[in-house]
Amino acid sequence: MAAGYLGERVIDDIDVEVRTGEAVAIVGSNGAGKTTLFRAIAGLLSPMAGRVLLDGRDLTRRPAHRVARAGVAYVPAERHLFPAMTSRSNLHLGAYPRRPDRATLELVYDLFPRLKERQRQHAGTLSGGEQQMLAVGRALMARPRLLMLDEPTTGLAPKIAQTAFEALEGLKKEGMTLLIAEQQVPLALSVADRGYVLENGRIRLSGTAEELEGNPEVRRAYLGVV
Amino acid sequence: MRAAILDGIVLGLAFGLLGVGMTLVYGLGGVLNLAYGQIVVLAAIVISLVMEDSHPTVLAALVGVLAAAGVAVLLDLTLMRPVYRERGEERTLLGLLLTLGAAFVIGGLLAWRYPAGALYIFVGGDPISVIGVPMAVGSIWASVIALAAAAILLLFFGATTFGRGVRSVIQDEVGARLVGINPSLVRTVIFALSGALAGVVAITQSMSGPLTVNAGFELTTFALIVTVVGGLGSVAGAFLAGVLLGVVNTLSAHYIGQYITTIILLGAAALTILIRPRGLLGR
Repeated sequence: MAAGYLGERVIDDIDVEVRTGEAVAIVGSNGAGKTTLFRAIAGLLSPMAGRVLLDGRDLTRRPAHRVARAGVAYVPAERHLFPAMTSRSNLHLGAYPRRPDRATLELVYDLFPRLKERQRQHAGTLSGGEQQMLAVGRALMARPRLLMLDEPTTGLAPKIAQTAFEALEGLKKEGMTLLIAEQQVPLALSVADRGYVLENGRIRLSGTAEELEGNPEVRRAYLGVV
Repeated sequence: MRAAILDGIVLGLAFGLLGVGMTLVYGLGGVLNLAYGQIVVLAAIVISLVMEDSHPTVLAALVGVLAAAGVAVLLDLTLMRPVYRERGEERTLLGLLLTLGAAFVIGGLLAWRYPAGALYIFVGGDPISVIGVPMAVGSIWASVIALAAAAILLLFFGATTFGRGVRSVIQDEVGARLVGINPSLVRTVIFALSGALAGVVAITQSMSGPLTVNAGFELTTFALIVTVVGGLGSVAGAFLAGVLLGVVNTLSAHYIGQYITTIILLGAAALTILIRPRGLLGR
């Protein structure tokens, strides 16, 4: 895939695969093109070349709402919650156009008990961590085939970021297929099976999480090991 | 005093009904539909023509409401497409220009074909006493219709899945797309609803006096004021603002003079922008 803005390719020659039940991390520094890649997959940005396939179904250039209904849930870093609605209404809308499914709602509340306590509170008044939980919860309500999380730790205190990734670990155990973009490489590799290192819009390295953790370049550039 | 306040509430409910159709469209896509008043007039002319054919008033009213909704959808599917392709300031400006153009075209055509066109739905009967003030039956009917419309709208937006979907587009369009809502479809449906409401406005306005073919821009002006004061995209805000402004209007007409009331209403809108830019109940 290649994608970008105003004729300028931000990402190019990208080939990423996520298998069912797998957690895959896209790591890279700020501006590497992670968000552009996610937006292009989610249909918020039309790719300049390449294809998006879900279970063999071509989703390329479908509008975002069609991609969402096809089973790809995208949680952007800015979350895009509905601020003047209660957190419960936000969750209910995640299941749109169906009625929210009770079992899925229970699963979300099990994963994030905090959301149950806050169900009557407006999304705009939640803390950063709670908003992130709500954004993930809203995405889960659609029972997606693939959950894409862009920088899930943005704006979170280190301890809360840690908790967020523990929740992702739990999701993975439930069998959810995950694609995670993250600048905090150690956190990302702690939950991922495989990873891709994105640099200047191209894939620089790829491999299993262990391979990447052991790679000297990755260790120097992203893991702070000299 | 009591009569003035009661008259103000009647007028205010009419204002609220007028504003709600404009505020919903604005909340959804940042477009102020300056042709709104002309759509009301179009509905009025259609209703009067059907009534002239000696069809029952209720049937004529229904045809008028459907015609207004149809014209609104037509506008959305043609004129509004390039508008919604733009973002931010460009969208607002293009929206203003194109709907203003539509206002001139619709208003002009109607005034040319039906220069003496007017709708007056006469509701007979002796005035009914409300807390000691005699009220015309037509005014009471108009208020009941406005209240019913408000109740139905609040129920629709509060309790139905599609209504929630509409609110989600107003609050965060990207978020709405990510949960599988098609904002373009939502906007078309709301444009249709807004047109239908314009048809209802034509009915209620003509129950207390004739609605003439030239009333378009005045109606648009009042709808704009209600939109600004009530808060963008808020149904409850539109009706609250409508009633407040209605009471202000009749009180100032009663104690100062009719000539100054429009200026006072515009002043209220300006003051709202200065003090509370979100409007009474806006986000």
